[in-house]
Amino acid sequence: MVGASSGIGLAVARRLALAGRKVAMLARREAELAAQVALVNDVTKKQLAFAYVHDAAVTGEAEALFQRIEQELGPVDEVHFVAGVMPPVALDEFDLQKDTVQVQVNMLGCIAWGNAAARRFLARKGGCFVGVSSVAQDRGRIGRPVYNASKAGMDTYLEALRNRLWRHGVQVTTIRPGFVETPMTAGLRLKGAIPADQAAARILKARDRKKPISYVPGKWRLIMFVIRNIPSFVFRRLSL
Amino acid sequence: MTTMTAPAWRDEKVLGFGMAVGGPASVLRPTTAEQIADAFAEVKKSGGSVALRGAGCSYGDAATAVNGKVLDLTRMNRVLGFDPLTGVATVEPGATVRDLWRTSIQFGYWPKVVSGTMAVSMGGAAAMNIHGKNNYTLGSFGECVRSFDLLTPRGELVHVTRESDPELFHAAISGFGMLGCFTRFEIETKRVHSGRLKVWGIVADDLEHNLRLLEELRSEADYLVSWLDLHAKGKGLGRGIMHRADQFHSGEDPEGLRFCEPALQDVPPNLFGVVPKGWLWPGMWGAVHLGQVGLVNALKFKAGSKEQRHSPYIQSHGAFHFLLDYVPRWQWMTKPGGLIQFQPFVPKAEGARVLRTLIEKCQAAGHVPYLGVLKRHRPDPFLMSYAVDGYSMAMDIAVSSRKSRRASLWQLCREMAEIVLDAGGRFYYAKDAVLLDSSFERVHGSEAVAKFRALKQKWDPDRLLQTDLSRRLGV
Repeated sequence: MVGASSGIGLAVARRLALAGRKVAMLARREAELAAQVALVNDVTKKQLAFAYVHDAAVTGEAEALFQRIEQELGPVDEVHFVAGVMPPVALDEFDLQKDTVQVQVNMLGCIAWGNAAARRFLARKGGCFVGVSSVAQDRGRIGRPVYNASKAGMDTYLEALRNRLWRHGVQVTTIRPGFVETPMTAGLRLKGAIPADQAAARILKARDRKKPISYVPGKWRLIMFVIRNIPSFVFRRLSL
Repeated sequence: MTTMTAPAWRDEKVLGFGMAVGGPASVLRPTTAEQIADAFAEVKKSGGSVALRGAGCSYGDAATAVNGKVLDLTRMNRVLGFDPLTGVATVEPGATVRDLWRTSIQFGYWPKVVSGTMAVSMGGAAAMNIHGKNNYTLGSFGECVRSFDLLTPRGELVHVTRESDPELFHAAISGFGMLGCFTRFEIETKRVHSGRLKVWGIVADDLEHNLRLLEELRSEADYLVSWLDLHAKGKGLGRGIMHRADQFHSGEDPEGLRFCEPALQDVPPNLFGVVPKGWLWPGMWGAVHLGQVGLVNALKFKAGSKEQRHSPYIQSHGAFHFLLDYVPRWQWMTKPGGLIQFQPFVPKAEGARVLRTLIEKCQAAGHVPYLGVLKRHRPDPFLMSYAVDGYSMAMDIAVSSRKSRRASLWQLCREMAEIVLDAGGRFYYAKDAVLLDSSFERVHGSEAVAKFRALKQKWDPDRLLQTDLSRRLGV
């Protein structure tokens, strides 16, 4: 579970542990991660969660860390990439530093872990990779250009990965969440946002049903269908 | 944080939570300690006084100043930090109980002491030294404060711990905003092993049964609170439903892991998932004004046996604790007169006799509380303490807009206060609206009051900090 110390990643990790799975929880913030791992093991009174401090932006670490996790916990059969950053960006702001971090975490981070997983899953002819993208990937919008672009890059990568691997018995599922209550969206006052635990339940259901792409919750498929079909001459005048 | 211009004083209506006391005042909402200091200096120059106010959840006049000045701290509401390994939160005074638990529950911590509404501010919680349904075991809010910063009317910002200045620590907490303005707290929370609690509803046939349950269960239960039907007379006098809640141990409620998420703790906005609860108070207004509260209470009591059959059941921490938040604006049902809450604290030995007398007096006078709540307490180390080794009975009484009825209610409360004080009982300033200045020393003892007045003289020689409450009590 990459991105496991808060939000959707944390909620999915908790549900995996409740299903009795051993979970390697990866996150950047050491104290938060340690606290969450301790909480899972305390509430369940089982040794199910394991902490691995990792910054998804440091893509070079992924391969070696994957290997270490398999050495310590046994073969990995399921990888969730949920790490994501979305810094606030003003409408007249074009800050390369902020942009780079988003591409590094959201897109390159996913590619690093996708590659590491793909190599092994392909050889084993089995496994499952779940990547949490976003409804934000469906259109480029005025608010967060590089968040949109990084998620779109990630999403397209996941599609290609799916097409490569599915025929070899490996599942790749893309999740596109709409509004979810998480620390990342805390300041945004999203109307109708669902709890992260509810998003986690839907993500695991999509995994079980072997969905290629799943909007969470489902109504976003319709909403984004409409938004995707707004022609540019209209869309560029909207404040969406 | 960008503070372009200093905030300005605005004329507003500032009422107690019960809407029965308070009136027009000039209000300032600072966002920094510097702005509070500036306001103190400005008020001092003009020779006036100012009242400190948090979220305005005190029922009476503890945070009002009719025709005076009020410093409203609700804009200083940040949670500045939370240590996920120790559960210690650093907060500003306007941060609320809600802000605190929403931060802590994600990491498996819950505030040690919470009130019945989560709207209460940290500053108010400390100044009034509030308690929860676990007062008999974990004590009052002040006992989970590790340190605070206090801006005194003399203009100093002092960092205070139990060790650095025990006298000021134990007087500023419980000191109802008389010694200075809290600007920052370090607050300890407790580890929970689930996002949920195990809850029992237990039917109590009369007052004695209620008190007996409190004594029997208090060594094992984590939370105890009894709802009382104060309309019942004769054999059923003081009947009610005792609620007991226990925390889970590690491994007892694995599913509770999912509930360590703020969104799954919040009190649901709709009744049965459909009716917005914001619409409920007009119905309750009808019950109050058509004299049907007795019927509502009797029905609620009847429902208690069904609840008892289904006990224990599981509830989130938020759903168990924040009963007052289930029906938003419920206190509007008492409009236009508003309500007061009379909450005496009575020593254990006198409990049964005094509480029975009070219920009978209310019934005889025709001011029957529409809500009664019984809790167990223990003493705490704070100077202006209200706590006793005994019981408290909170009685919510609707106030009539007719002058004569209002006067007779105040008269009743003062008579009841005499009975309580004669029995060695005490009162709680987050609730009180009726005590006379002659009662101040009888509540705390003359020694404690002398000590408090000396501290007031030391830290606030110009008597800059005053409220309607402090003037009423002759602090």
